[in-house]
Amino acid sequence: MTDFDWQPLLLTFRLATLTTLLLLFVGIPLAGWLAFTRFRFKPVVEAIISLPLVLPPSVLGFYFLLAFSPTGFLGKKLLSWFDLRLLFTFEGLVIASIFYSLPFMVHSVQAGLENLPASLREASYTLGKSHRETFFRVLLPNIKPSLLTGVVLSFAHTIGEFGLVLMIGGNLPGQTRVASVAIYDEVELLNYGAANAYALLLLVVSFAILLSVYAINKRWVIF
Amino acid sequence: MLHLQARMNLLFASGPAPLEVAVSLKIGSLTGLCGPSGSGKTTLLRILAGLTMPEKGIVRVGERTWLDTEHRINLATQQRKVGMVFQDAALFPNMSVRQNVEFAAENRRDPIVDELLERVGLTNLADRKPATLSGGQRQRVALIRALARRPQVLLLDEPFSALDRETRDQLLIELLRLHRQFGTTTVLVSHHQEEIQRVADQFIELKEGKASFREKKSEPDSASRQQVSGLITGIDVKANRVQVQIWLNDATITVNRPHKALKWQVGDTITLDVEPATTAENPTGD
Repeated sequence: MTDFDWQPLLLTFRLATLTTLLLLFVGIPLAGWLAFTRFRFKPVVEAIISLPLVLPPSVLGFYFLLAFSPTGFLGKKLLSWFDLRLLFTFEGLVIASIFYSLPFMVHSVQAGLENLPASLREASYTLGKSHRETFFRVLLPNIKPSLLTGVVLSFAHTIGEFGLVLMIGGNLPGQTRVASVAIYDEVELLNYGAANAYALLLLVVSFAILLSVYAINKRWVIF
Repeated sequence: MLHLQARMNLLFASGPAPLEVAVSLKIGSLTGLCGPSGSGKTTLLRILAGLTMPEKGIVRVGERTWLDTEHRINLATQQRKVGMVFQDAALFPNMSVRQNVEFAAENRRDPIVDELLERVGLTNLADRKPATLSGGQRQRVALIRALARRPQVLLLDEPFSALDRETRDQLLIELLRLHRQFGTTTVLVSHHQEEIQRVADQFIELKEGKASFREKKSEPDSASRQQVSGLITGIDVKANRVQVQIWLNDATITVNRPHKALKWQVGDTITLDVEPATTAENPTGD
């Protein structure tokens, strides 16, 4: 194990942490909007957000590949405006992972918000508080278990990415070679020992995360 | 005056029908809003609070127009000086009792917070979370939280319906006291008219969306009341605890508001307002 390469594991956790943090900023406002909007086309938005749940990751990866390609519309603009290359880069993986794990954050938070009694929100309005203040001081603090579930599921789901990474990230050490890809790679090289080490570490970490969530959520049932 | 006119289609047990209401309430009055469940009571409160928009309606409080659908005026709930007590109290579970009240006050150091907590005897429970309180205590917090905003209009949506009779009676008295102190125009929804008979100045009776307004039956002439002081020589609490019979000096008096009387003991000296029949309506003794 002396020559064990930790890089894929570190890269995986860097990707999952960054994706989850960014998802908090994207997913929570989106979930808040979906929970209370009367927008006519809300089901369309919900269906689009949920697509990664049912689509094969390669389908998603294929479209990202087209979009991010330097010859594609989006890729070209990003390159000329921001000098940003998303194909076969870590940045590209982060953007794709946000879309890929979005339903896990949005669904958890949205369900938490929808299950709160409407009277909490209305009471806050009658006390003169704005929608924003009500959201951050009354609603969000009372759905901590849902927030935690959203964070953990997004994190765990990003750790488990494989097909999408392979399609748009490839297998560049230190850039896009995450643990799941490294396992596949080591198995291909009949390097079962290294594959086993990556696999076992992912298994243990994933189990530990889920266990702590269930344990904490049990305590949070009573506020 | 508080003018309320509203028209909107609702679905009643007997089918769809319009809710049609036009009433004027005196500023500072306490109005009982009664009627069977599903008759539109809550909807009416929500229209006043700005939580429900009627198809047509006017809400005017004093000089200020809160709602006028014809002229496209509709103040947001936040801009209406309104306090609302919900049936489920709607206390914020993440905040302590004190934080709930502070949230409503203009700032955290507002002296009204301590004053209100003390007024309803919750100072000792101020740091507790709502989940650890009894139903009556929760409604007390909801009531003072609504008042901490110093509302012009106080709306109560069957806040005491899930409580036992004794607690309910106590809370009604506290409500009446606070209503007078703050000078709010109060609307109290109740299933049972007799329950709020004693505290309301007037009633709106809703039946399938139609409102009838009536003043309270006039109180017995105050001149015919008399005050009696004396020593309690015996107490008999009726099984239902609704009435307490006491022997004061040599007379037998039935007290219809037992929450205070239940604390009396033989040997106490008390003063009562007595009506011509031997029923004391307003116990004032300690």
